[in-house]
Amino acid sequence: MSDFQELIKSFPKTREYVRDFFVYGFKTRNEFKDKSPRTYDNERRRLESWLSPYIRKDYVSNKANISLAIDSNLLDTNPLFQVWKTKSFTDNDISLHFLILDLLQNGRKMTVEEITDSLLAEYETFFDIQSVRRKCNSYSKEGLLNKEKSGKTVVFSLDNTLPAWLQANEAVMDALAFYQMASCFGIIGNELMEQFDYHNHTFRVKHSFFVHTLEDEILLSLLEAMNQKLEVQLEIKSSKKNISNTVCCIPMQIFTSTRSGRRFLCGYVGKSKRFTCFRLDTIKCVAALEQSEEYDGLLLKLSRNRQYLWGVSFQGTERNHLEKLIMDLQIMEPYENYILDRLKREGRGGTVQKTGPNVYRYEIEVFDCNEMLPWIRTFIGRILSLQCSSKSVEQRFYRDLQTMYHIYQINEESKGETANGVIF
Amino acid sequence: MELFSEIYSCYYQVLRHILSVQNAVTIQDIRSQISREGFAESLLSIIPKLENGTWNLFDKDGELYLSKLKSPLMVPLSDIEKSYLKALLSDLRIGLFLDEGQLKTIQQLLAAVPPLWKPEQFFYYDRFADGDPYPQDSYRSHFRTLLQAQKSGQYVDIDYNSPNGARVHHYYVPARLEYSVKNDKFRLLALKHAGRSKMKLELLNIARMQSVRLTEKPFSLPVDLNAMIRHSYYKEPLRLRIVNKRNALERAMLHFANYEKNTIKIDEETYECLIYYNQNMETELLIEVMSFGPMLTVIGNDKFLHSLKTRLQRQRNILFPEA
Repeated sequence: MSDFQELIKSFPKTREYVRDFFVYGFKTRNEFKDKSPRTYDNERRRLESWLSPYIRKDYVSNKANISLAIDSNLLDTNPLFQVWKTKSFTDNDISLHFLILDLLQNGRKMTVEEITDSLLAEYETFFDIQSVRRKCNSYSKEGLLNKEKSGKTVVFSLDNTLPAWLQANEAVMDALAFYQMASCFGIIGNELMEQFDYHNHTFRVKHSFFVHTLEDEILLSLLEAMNQKLEVQLEIKSSKKNISNTVCCIPMQIFTSTRSGRRFLCGYVGKSKRFTCFRLDTIKCVAALEQSEEYDGLLLKLSRNRQYLWGVSFQGTERNHLEKLIMDLQIMEPYENYILDRLKREGRGGTVQKTGPNVYRYEIEVFDCNEMLPWIRTFIGRILSLQCSSKSVEQRFYRDLQTMYHIYQINEESKGETANGVIF
Repeated sequence: MELFSEIYSCYYQVLRHILSVQNAVTIQDIRSQISREGFAESLLSIIPKLENGTWNLFDKDGELYLSKLKSPLMVPLSDIEKSYLKALLSDLRIGLFLDEGQLKTIQQLLAAVPPLWKPEQFFYYDRFADGDPYPQDSYRSHFRTLLQAQKSGQYVDIDYNSPNGARVHHYYVPARLEYSVKNDKFRLLALKHAGRSKMKLELLNIARMQSVRLTEKPFSLPVDLNAMIRHSYYKEPLRLRIVNKRNALERAMLHFANYEKNTIKIDEETYECLIYYNQNMETELLIEVMSFGPMLTVIGNDKFLHSLKTRLQRQRNILFPEA
């Protein structure tokens, strides 16, 4: 246990552990088959340390199971942000951080030599000039310090105009309190709030998937590539089969589901000449390649294609170009008009037409109707008929219904109901 | 631009706070600060470094530690933080928080900074189409009044059109502003007097508010919001049986991430998930469970099971009316 370190050097390995704990929540040492028991113990101890207020222990068959009790509707922040605050550093790193920033607070411009001398004279701390130069250059690269050439000398300075303005405007802090939970890269908003010692006690966010923060490093690389119109090579590890492969594609857009909690990269794969979506949580590594000359044209093409997307699939199982789905619903007017509202706001461009008393027809053409089934099932209890040009979709819907009748023993036992579902 | 960097680390934050104290502090004060703000085991790493002077950031005077920093530290923003702020300025909802003057100033301060992302780089393919009217003046005004009242703990006088068409007029205490990513709407979690000095929690759509007036009346009673939410849950949670085929477990865990829940492994492939919910969440939860079809099995509670069976029976009666 003596070599246990609370902080870590690299994020990707931990990302997988946290995700496993978050999603599955209850894996024991024996279930982490690919890892050694010692690795498991260390990772688990770190997680318990970082996320201690959210750790829940259950005892099943006399075995302790660890899980994360993270329920977004009860929290003012995302506990998984803690994982981003665990980067290890050297003793010089932390000392130089505070002393250099303190030294430059008054806006003066200094050379590395002057900074090194002042650290000794004003703070009684000795650092070699190379360490100071490395830190100043690194902070200039990260944007914390300004680096200017003045004749033959290079000077470093610090500009506090922006942080001073932010600190004076509470409205910005309120905005950060909201966006840290509701938007992408919430970790940055959270860090900014911490920097200004502000805490969220105002906002809650529903349908925000905390686990997304673990994909933000991948997302950042993808957005950087998109901004520069670069092709990328992705290293992908399948969540089902646990096998890795690499794919080259031109990253076009991030597709996000507000229901299933999944985010995808939509990329153009030159090899197959198709748009394809890759789940962000399966992408392990992104390497930037050459700039793509066809980028703008592909963006236009994607925007034309998007009107026929239901979710993330650009082709159905029967490989038709487009599939058509027609669903007739029983909607008792005027009491059930909220169902009409649902069709309009959730129907993604499908048309809704009254075809008879209390009967409405919803109609749409999309690439892959199979993706619609979860949504269609939400209308169970009022579906008069479902027709789809892809017969496998129709079959699956009715087969699943039969299975559900069987599971819940829906048969002759409830003859007290009418066809309208009114219970006597 | 680094997202995972020591400059954002928990240790740096804790140290910044300790170093910003202008008076001398004891090692016990430092310990308390680390215990409050650090990770569970941070004390073990930080204290020895300060005691033996490896992190040479304090002048020691006997048992006392005095920060070497000359003033409370203001840390400049990194490029990634600036780019993040710049990206937020393109979001429609930023106008709920910043007025035109503030927007103009921050645009100027960030003029040379590229945004970290652009709105068009994201596509929310299943978001509802009837989101709140963020640019509308009355909506912004209501939002800001509620925000102010929530932060200062004041009552507001709200005139509200309920979804069933009834006009409601009441005094409320704003407890939280809740945003739904799926609905693209804000709702107010509001406290209302329910007699005998009890408070009741209600949910109001901000877009349905006709008028919102800030009152002078403060609300000072301590309220444990989460306890109220938990108190509103049905005694019996929804009990789901999940057989882990076609990634069903992962799908369910992500899909129901919103809810307070507990999942137990029953055997190699079977899990039982308990989901806690209240009357307000009931219909949405039923719809979400139905969307999974036979991948999930509801085994309790009786009320939920009855609602699901009623819908299935109604469906069967439609398809086989003579059965």
